[in-house]
Amino acid sequence: MEGELLTVIIVVATALAFDFTNGFHDTANVVATSISTRAMAPRLAVGYAAILNFAGAFISLEVAATVANDVVDPGDITLLVVFAGLIGAIAWNLITWYFGLPSSSSHALIGGIVGAMLVAQGPDTIFFGEGIVGKVMLPAVVAPTLAFAVAGISILLLYRIVGRLRPGPVTGGFRGGQIISGGLLALAHGTNDAQKTMGVIALALVAYGSLPAGDPTPPFWVVVSAAAAIALGTYAGGWRIIKTMGSRIHKMDSAQGFAAQGAGAAVILASSHGGFPLSTTHTISGAVIGSGAAKRLSAVRWGVAGNIVAAWIVTLPAAAGIGALTYGVTRIFGTGAAGPIVVSALILAGSAVLFSRRAQQGGGVAAASEA
Amino acid sequence: MSVAAIIDWDALLTVIWASAVAGVGVTAAFGFAILGGTRALELGREGRPGEAALFGAVGGLGAVAVIAAIVFGIVVLSE
Repeated sequence: MEGELLTVIIVVATALAFDFTNGFHDTANVVATSISTRAMAPRLAVGYAAILNFAGAFISLEVAATVANDVVDPGDITLLVVFAGLIGAIAWNLITWYFGLPSSSSHALIGGIVGAMLVAQGPDTIFFGEGIVGKVMLPAVVAPTLAFAVAGISILLLYRIVGRLRPGPVTGGFRGGQIISGGLLALAHGTNDAQKTMGVIALALVAYGSLPAGDPTPPFWVVVSAAAAIALGTYAGGWRIIKTMGSRIHKMDSAQGFAAQGAGAAVILASSHGGFPLSTTHTISGAVIGSGAAKRLSAVRWGVAGNIVAAWIVTLPAAAGIGALTYGVTRIFGTGAAGPIVVSALILAGSAVLFSRRAQQGGGVAAASEA
Repeated sequence: MSVAAIIDWDALLTVIWASAVAGVGVTAAFGFAILGGTRALELGREGRPGEAALFGAVGGLGAVAVIAAIVFGIVVLSE
């Protein structure tokens, strides 16, 4: 039992570390448009997003319920499966962060868990139909498409409404509006993404025996700790990805920024209410591209958008592969805490190498400010 | 089991229409808030108080609609 307690502590710590990397990796996307249009200074935008991420995590538990109940069979879950799935997601997040690709942390998490579960317990314990296809893969296609369409229609409508006004007050007005829309987007991100970590911790607590498999509702301490971890990750910032999302897809004006953030927030919040654990990165990218394409198709740098799509497609299988591999490596050391300790040490060492290489290449705050 | 049968169509369609209405509606309302506010100030400076008041009302309604939609959305989400 003491060995299991140590393992569950490592798994919960790993889940919170994933949540931190999720904030670090994903939430930069939330503030990129505000920074790109100069609605907010980078540091202010990141701090603001961190606070609203924290608040957003308390709004709903629908997505946490989906992750805990509908992806894999909670009755067959083990602590090592949860651990290996988390390592798969963290490793994929770090790799895509290093290369500046805004791939999906959510799909990495679900891919990691599914890969580890597949190797550990077999395909019968995975809910491929209603869970993976119905609640993950279909929304993965619908949400960015919807955000693309909503942002496109919104910006066309906005240009009709304010098109004859002098540009100065309009730009100022939409920059002010972006404080609201950017805040809503950060709130939406906290709502959808922090809940995925809550769902995974709930699965770990089911495996440990402290939550029933029939009703794995996350306890309050899980909600608070997941909210704090994603908010801290946000504050730490993902400056390299801010550059990709904010200006490399297309240069946007403040009305486009407002439309993109409003569309992204609307889609993510509505999906959270429906319990769909969608990718906030995909959705925001769809909205950013939609707001640019509606104005002028050539304004979008389609090569960069294509790289983002490629990262989306690869994420689920890649994270599943890393999750499966991690489970295999962890099991070499038995079913106790030794495997997670060794793998955690390896991932920490790998992270340190990647961070130091990024620091040497100048991926700091100053670079983002110049972008 | 067919793909159509494993999809929660009710939830998915709700997400689609709610996102479209909220996204486009709030953005348009904010656009009217800017239009009304900007024109009201310009017309006020030009000494046309009646038209300025009309545009001011449009701007005010737009702003109220944005705030109301956000509050309503958060209340619905947290229920």
